[in-house]
Amino acid sequence: MSLPTDFGPDSGGRMKGVCIVKPIVYGNIARYFGKKREEDGHTHQWTVYVKPYNNEDMSAYVKKVHFKLHESYANQNRIVVKPPYEISETGWGEFEIVIKIHFIDPNERPVTMYHVLKLFHAAGSTMDVTIDQSKGLVSENYDEIVFQDPTQLMQHLLTNTKQLTLDQWEHNTDFEERKNKTMKTISDMRVRVRNEILVLKNRLKLAKETITQFKEIAKVQDGQQFSM
Amino acid sequence: MADVRDIMELDQPVTPELTKEAILGADKNKKRLFNAGQKVSKRPEGMHREVFALLYNDNKDAPPLFPSDTSNGYKQTKIKLGMRKPRKWEWMSFTNPARSDNTLFYHWRRPSDETKEYPFAKFNKKIDIPIYTDAEYNQHLTTEGWSRQETDHMMDLARRFDMRFIIIADRYDTEKFPKRTVEEIKDRYYKVCGILAKLTNKKMYTYDADHEKRRKEQLKRLYERTPEQIEEEQFLIGELKKIEARKKERERKTQDLQKLISQADNQGETPRKADKKLPKKKITNPSRPSRVDTSHILQAVETAGIKFPDYKNSGVSLRSQRMKLPASVGQKKTKGIEQMLQDMGMELNPTPSEEICQSFNELRSDMVLLMELKSALGTCEFELQSLRHQYEALNPGKTLTIPAQLLTAGNEQEAVKIGEIIDVVGSPGTPSGI
Repeated sequence: MSLPTDFGPDSGGRMKGVCIVKPIVYGNIARYFGKKREEDGHTHQWTVYVKPYNNEDMSAYVKKVHFKLHESYANQNRIVVKPPYEISETGWGEFEIVIKIHFIDPNERPVTMYHVLKLFHAAGSTMDVTIDQSKGLVSENYDEIVFQDPTQLMQHLLTNTKQLTLDQWEHNTDFEERKNKTMKTISDMRVRVRNEILVLKNRLKLAKETITQFKEIAKVQDGQQFSM
Repeated sequence: MADVRDIMELDQPVTPELTKEAILGADKNKKRLFNAGQKVSKRPEGMHREVFALLYNDNKDAPPLFPSDTSNGYKQTKIKLGMRKPRKWEWMSFTNPARSDNTLFYHWRRPSDETKEYPFAKFNKKIDIPIYTDAEYNQHLTTEGWSRQETDHMMDLARRFDMRFIIIADRYDTEKFPKRTVEEIKDRYYKVCGILAKLTNKKMYTYDADHEKRRKEQLKRLYERTPEQIEEEQFLIGELKKIEARKKERERKTQDLQKLISQADNQGETPRKADKKLPKKKITNPSRPSRVDTSHILQAVETAGIKFPDYKNSGVSLRSQRMKLPASVGQKKTKGIEQMLQDMGMELNPTPSEEICQSFNELRSDMVLLMELKSALGTCEFELQSLRHQYEALNPGKTLTIPAQLLTAGNEQEAVKIGEIIDVVGSPGTPSGI
């Protein structure tokens, strides 16, 4: 194992200028029991998870994933050390789950994400909730972990990942489509905002010129009055 | 433990409770055993508990040894007195050379100092008052309004009172001579001195009597102001300050406006490039002084829109973090952005790919600029309206026409000819516009 050594003592052991991006998907799926459970009142079975967006084994660089559940759960801090990084539970309510990813190299600080557990599909709610016939309700998000100037060890781990599965690696949500749609909306909006800015700018210029003109008229008028 | 024991007063000889055992002496053995186990060094009377605890702890270790400077102890060397014979003082007479009358005085003095001059005599300084001969006076010093006798009298007084002109004026012989002010006396004195100095090529002093008179008058007036006048002056100063502050505020606003326009002009280009183009921008307000330094504008441009922090620091971060609005964006603007996004059917937290992240941030920065432009335009409209009202009040029957483009929907009916500004000066008296 030969590691590159082109980092000086002042770089803090980091690979300056290197930037590695790891896209991930996190969220939950939930399925309704069909009725309220007698003994504890739970209504749903759910699973919260973090998985790589691309087909690769995250355990190469992830040490553990920490899920912090609602305090009403026994043992609310759940730690998963190997894939799949997921927690399955039953419950009756939605709450915010804190997901913290720790990396193999302790010099890289852990990243924290917040996911609101979704159980119910409210009409007109956010678009990242889909209903899948086989899986039930799905609420998941895309994000990217950006390693800016990773440590030497981390850089090595990040670039030497194995495939997670030989099968097709698919997600419940088509993020590519979502990205394209968002991009289009943003560009449309930018054009609109720019045009509005242009109009406003011209009006503002005119307004300023008019103000100057008015002031001059008033000044001349004043002068006339004094000379009378 | 020592503390606790002390607080509990365990070491103190407790008055023994009178029990059956005490009387029978059965308890004695037990107590002795207990004491043998831990023999505690007794705290000397008067030593503070804390100090004692430092020296002796429970383990009865030897007290910590540190080198300490004990050469002198706490004793200070005492002054040695009475080893020599004191020198003598003598009651003796002396004359003060500063006095002209040779009066004899007595005082205590060392015999060794007897021959020396009275030490305080040197403080009696005499001022050199110039003297003039008859010839000099007749040739150079005659002047209108001053006789020879009066000049002599004045010079004499100057000599007697060491040029203290206030006293000279006070002691002036007003029976023989007319009453003179301090300035007149001074003026005459310095003129005489000046002429004499010129004759002997000595240093000349100039005295401007007029200036002095004016100065004193001014001081007098300042001193004699009534409390009401002082109050009024303070009030006026306050007003002036307020006016100046308002003027500054106005100037600042025009600058902000200018900056917004430049920002809008450069929109689409990267802000870094935009900076260079700024000084070229047209300055629409000619009344604004040219001292508008570009550095101010440059700085302002960067604050327009949103300045997202550039994540250049080493370490791990989430892409979605970079879409967070910085704290510098106020709540009102944040609300405005959200409103605009929702109106256009855009989610507040889009999928954070690198491309989306950047465009989304730029979009929101533009939105803030748009909002700033809107509010600036509002201010301008208000100013236009108020200028027009002012004008109408001063020139009844006349009005100024605001270009229709600038009129918001609310006062459409007031809009008259589009884009036309009627030159009121050209046609005075006739109502223009409406």
